[in-house]
Amino acid sequence: MVGKKKLCIFILILLMTLSSLIATENPIVTMDLLPTLTYKAHSDSWGAFFNGDLSVALSSKREGNVRGEVVLKATTLTPITSLNDVLYKAYFRARFPSFRLTAGKTRLSWGDGMLFNAGDVLYGSNSTSVFLTKAELRSTTNWLASVNYPLGFFSFAEAVVMPSETNNPADILFGARYYTTVKDIKVEIGYATKTPKITTTRQHKPYLSLQGNLGFDWYLSSSLAIPEDGDIAKESSESWIISGGFFHLVTLPQERSLSLRLEFLTRPFGSWEIGPVSDDSAALLLYPELVLAYSPSLSFTLRSIISPLDLSAMSTIGVSWNVFEAFNLIGSLSLATGDDGDLFAWSSTDTPASFSATVGSSWVF
Amino acid sequence: MYKKISRLQKLMILTILLFCIPSILFALSADEIIGEMDRLSTFETTYSTGSIQTTDRFGTKTSQFKSWSQGEKDSLIEFTSKAERGQKILRTEGSLYLFYPDAEQLIRMQGAALRQSMLGSDISYEDMTEEKNTLDNYTAKLEREETFKGNACFVLTLTAKSRSVAYPVQKIWVDKQSFLVWKAEYSTAQGRLLKVMEVLETFKSGERVLPKQSKIEDKMKKNSATLMTIDSFEANPHLDRSIFTLENLTW
Repeated sequence: MVGKKKLCIFILILLMTLSSLIATENPIVTMDLLPTLTYKAHSDSWGAFFNGDLSVALSSKREGNVRGEVVLKATTLTPITSLNDVLYKAYFRARFPSFRLTAGKTRLSWGDGMLFNAGDVLYGSNSTSVFLTKAELRSTTNWLASVNYPLGFFSFAEAVVMPSETNNPADILFGARYYTTVKDIKVEIGYATKTPKITTTRQHKPYLSLQGNLGFDWYLSSSLAIPEDGDIAKESSESWIISGGFFHLVTLPQERSLSLRLEFLTRPFGSWEIGPVSDDSAALLLYPELVLAYSPSLSFTLRSIISPLDLSAMSTIGVSWNVFEAFNLIGSLSLATGDDGDLFAWSSTDTPASFSATVGSSWVF
Repeated sequence: MYKKISRLQKLMILTILLFCIPSILFALSADEIIGEMDRLSTFETTYSTGSIQTTDRFGTKTSQFKSWSQGEKDSLIEFTSKAERGQKILRTEGSLYLFYPDAEQLIRMQGAALRQSMLGSDISYEDMTEEKNTLDNYTAKLEREETFKGNACFVLTLTAKSRSVAYPVQKIWVDKQSFLVWKAEYSTAQGRLLKVMEVLETFKSGERVLPKQSKIEDKMKKNSATLMTIDSFEANPHLDRSIFTLENLTW
């Protein structure tokens, strides 16, 4: 009798799951299989590991006034300790007559910049701890609720609330931004306030982000983190960051193209002394990126994060070959070039690898 | 010296003039041809679905899309194939916005960035969302009349008025009856051929003839060709103006 009851419940759950799947578009699976060889100079040791990234995305149909998406993502490099570790996105959007509500786990992209973005006051896009082999250098998601209020066809205001990092309701993040275009320049101005996990003082972060074109695309962002307590003037000036970038596409013979991007991040009140710098206080960092589209399916990439003050760099050369539909072969070589104590030291315990080589594939189906 | 014209010769000249005068009087100028071409390819609103196919020696890659347009300048394209699902392009006067749903990122593109190849095809973002106000950007000159694939065509050369357009020189074959552009050659100001577009198949929407399948060849690449196919087309559907807004782009 109990067995039959369990079977009925199981069938009921299965039917409910299947009926909800009917309302979704086909799931999309992204599978990156990237075997990697590494060399760590500080321990003079070689390592070989299998880096596999898998994501499954279930989206509702883009119809009506409510839509949503669930994306499960896992990587062989990170152990899974909770559902939150694999739940990359789980959100819905509801379109009301005058505003739009988004709630759940997802991402909001504020400001401009591929690697460095001072306008990203929600997640922070200043750190150099990124995988230069990834297409998206910043992809953090978080639980949030946001309201987007259109103010014309190309302007909107957006407000967001995120749970606190300390689990204290008093430390919840609040933020808002205004996005518009003035003449030919995109203007984004915003503010966020939160209590970071590492401090007990609430910070107020105003930012400004601009984007335009002067024959080449340019973007510029600036933000401050003003603490409520302590030495407000000193900490505010030390937290001031400015990021910016230039992007230009050059058409080459044989209709190949070379795209050039140069981003910078500067902390005007950081340490400008020549010598070793740290990630969170480096006064100047550069991010040049060259992408040669050799053919419609073959491209070569050179990305580098350069610390000019200690003359160290982390560089990656990559190749991507789109062999079949949604199937790419990928290869990359990464190298840290810096002396002991530098931000990208060749021999350092902080550097995941002094040198790494990856050959693998990426498939979307 | 003076030779008297015979009565028969006079009659012949008169007949020729009688036939020629109306065609001279009613001959279309280059600007009128372009104006008619733009008028017939522009609808109040449209909704279409289609695909972009690129073929190389490893096979064919297909990207499917939905497209909405309004008048000459507003268009929205949403990709529906798996690898690009949810990516959208919004073109409005002077600006082009891209939305990448994975990163929830809104990117505004201007200048040379618009010339980037879209999804590895021979079509750029600018080609795909082209504004249909040719005479604002080009000076037109009627070169000759020519038959192309059995269709009587005007052959015109369009020269860019400024450097803000993708192709400094265009040579186009415009159907004398339907004003459909059967063929277009896109060149640099120095005359170097960049791309060639040819219409392979057409369909009718009311009285208008529109391209169903076009082949775009990048003349600077070897063995490179892109086929763009319209699978369904709806003329003048009711479209909410809010479709062409940032709110809808990021939906």
